[in-house]
Amino acid sequence: MKKILIVDDELDIVESLKFVLETSGYSCYTALNGEDGLKLAKELIPDLIILDVMMPKINGYKISRLLKYDNKYKNIPILMITARSQEEDKLIGEETGADEYVTKPFDLEEVLRLVEKHLSREIDGNRNKQNA
Amino acid sequence: MANIFLITDRDSVVKKYEKLCLENSHIFSNSADISIIEDMLNSENYDLVLIDNKIKFSSAISVIKKIKSIKDNIIIILLIEKDIFDKDISKNINGFITEDFDEDLILTTLNINLRMRNSLQKLSDTNKDLADSLYRLNTLYNTSSQFAGTLDKEKLIDYMIEGLDKSLSFSLTCTLSFCNYNEPVLILNSLYEISDELMNAIKLRTVLNYKSLFEGKNIPYNIDENSLKVIKYVKYPANRFNFTLFQFDNMFAPIALGENFYGCIEIFKEKHFTSEDAKCFQTIAQQVSLPLKSATLYQEIIETNKKLEKLEKLKSEFISIVSHELRTPLTSIKNSIDILLSGRCGENSQSAEKFLSMAKQNVSRLSGIINDLLDISKIEAGKMDFHFKPVNIHSVVDYVKSALSGLAKEKNIEILVNETADLPEIMADSQRLEQVLTNLLSNAIKFTPDGKKITISTEFKNTSQIQYHPCFFDDMKKLSGDYIIVSVEDEGIGIAENELLHVFDKFAQIENSLSRKVGGSGLGLPIAKQLLEAHKGAIWCDSELNKGSKFHFALPIASSAVKENLISIS
Repeated sequence: MKKILIVDDELDIVESLKFVLETSGYSCYTALNGEDGLKLAKELIPDLIILDVMMPKINGYKISRLLKYDNKYKNIPILMITARSQEEDKLIGEETGADEYVTKPFDLEEVLRLVEKHLSREIDGNRNKQNA
Repeated sequence: MANIFLITDRDSVVKKYEKLCLENSHIFSNSADISIIEDMLNSENYDLVLIDNKIKFSSAISVIKKIKSIKDNIIIILLIEKDIFDKDISKNINGFITEDFDEDLILTTLNINLRMRNSLQKLSDTNKDLADSLYRLNTLYNTSSQFAGTLDKEKLIDYMIEGLDKSLSFSLTCTLSFCNYNEPVLILNSLYEISDELMNAIKLRTVLNYKSLFEGKNIPYNIDENSLKVIKYVKYPANRFNFTLFQFDNMFAPIALGENFYGCIEIFKEKHFTSEDAKCFQTIAQQVSLPLKSATLYQEIIETNKKLEKLEKLKSEFISIVSHELRTPLTSIKNSIDILLSGRCGENSQSAEKFLSMAKQNVSRLSGIINDLLDISKIEAGKMDFHFKPVNIHSVVDYVKSALSGLAKEKNIEILVNETADLPEIMADSQRLEQVLTNLLSNAIKFTPDGKKITISTEFKNTSQIQYHPCFFDDMKKLSGDYIIVSVEDEGIGIAENELLHVFDKFAQIENSLSRKVGGSGLGLPIAKQLLEAHKGAIWCDSELNKGSKFHFALPIASSAVKENLISIS
């Protein structure tokens, strides 16, 4: 079962994401702040991370940057949840290498679609690697 | 009458000249002792010195040089046997008297030299006065130019004191200033050091002077000599002033302009001030008031601007916080509703489904309002980014039509598109244009009854061909050249003529039961207007109550030069 790490300081959002993803057949792990999220990401090496931007201790941009610049974790797709939808926020996100962005209030079905897209892509990517 | 001094060691010569001088009412003294001669020259004001070439205690030339070193401009006449003497001596004397001169000739020689001396003296005095006046004028001029060159109040006070120093060379100025720093401050510019006791006396005196300016009136600032802040500048700290300072000549003036009071200044000088000094002092103290007033006003403007900037910052911070704080709980609500509606928690009853749909609709409405608020505040703050690219208007129309087709279908409304073929591309941010058209089309759907139709059309027009209601004149007169016009025509409730002008105002949704029912933030049209203005376009409408509305917007056909310009901006 694919492992998905959800990092958000809003318990309600974490719960709803977890519910939808688990009922769709994913195994979910959660963290309620950036620090725990980063630790868990390194420990679990999940297949995908859903990351909120505005969080206490370490914000989502920093976590994304730390992971994407580390060869060990850089292939983990990151889906970033932003609350502000401002162009400059997107720019910062691009620099940090997140793979997808959804703006609050997001659509759960949209998140599910993006997760599926990246996890199937990852499988393809691994296949390609094996072929090469 | 002249004061004449004779240097000789011959009694006969003394007798001869003493008699001559007294007969002609000149004051006469003589000596043959070099130390006495020095003392006498130092203490007395001699007009003329006679020196015997035959003195024995020293050579005549060395005595002459000594005299010159003490009093450079004194008249020296040499007494000689015959008119033969060396050049070194002739350079240092004004005249000579030989032994064969008779009394008349001696007197004439003396008188000519004395008269010449007087004339020279007068001339030099006049010159000195002139030079003084010129210097003072120059100082005043420099000081006024300095005053004109700054809006810094501390500098203005510095320049005033500098100007006074140059023109009056004072011993001490005590400036009580209310206009620099945040509290009244006493600025002392002193030649010599001031002891604490003297300082206290000066403080007390200054406060009394200040209060005397407002006798029987309200004192603008209450000050107290014990807590008065002092800033002291001392030119020569090795010396000290004592209490005789208060016996110095002094002058006092307020620094004020009309109702505006900036402080007062007292100035002390060991020598007497002349009437010219007094004028100069008053002028400088008055002159500084006007720039102080300008500086005060300038400072007020700066402070107001700072406050406004702070408010502006608070506003954008507020918007940013609101957007985060509102979106987060809204997300949780939306997620919960979506989960329930998705059936992941089991089947919903029909009425549960109905109320969940209602909740879902209102969540999306609320998030629309938040987006509109954010947009308008971003546009107003000039922070909206535009990405201009060549855009085919029909791709925008097609996109919006298909995006809203579901909404139209729900109301059984038909959307017709009436495109003009081969329209040129325009320079635009396609996302923003989609936003504008989405707004117009969703408004049309909202306000059109079920089963009617909406028409979107595109046209190519020159400014001269565009017709509009006169109430849009101010916006439309900015247009010139060729435009692509996009129109959205509905068969809805329409807008009364007297409401047309306010259609694009913020929160100006025309008040009626239907508009309340259809909802919206009331910001859609003002946002559309601002977005079009950013494209150098315009928006306007025609309408007839109960028959329908036509909303139009115009986008300029960009010349290649404008295209490049827009690309470089974006």
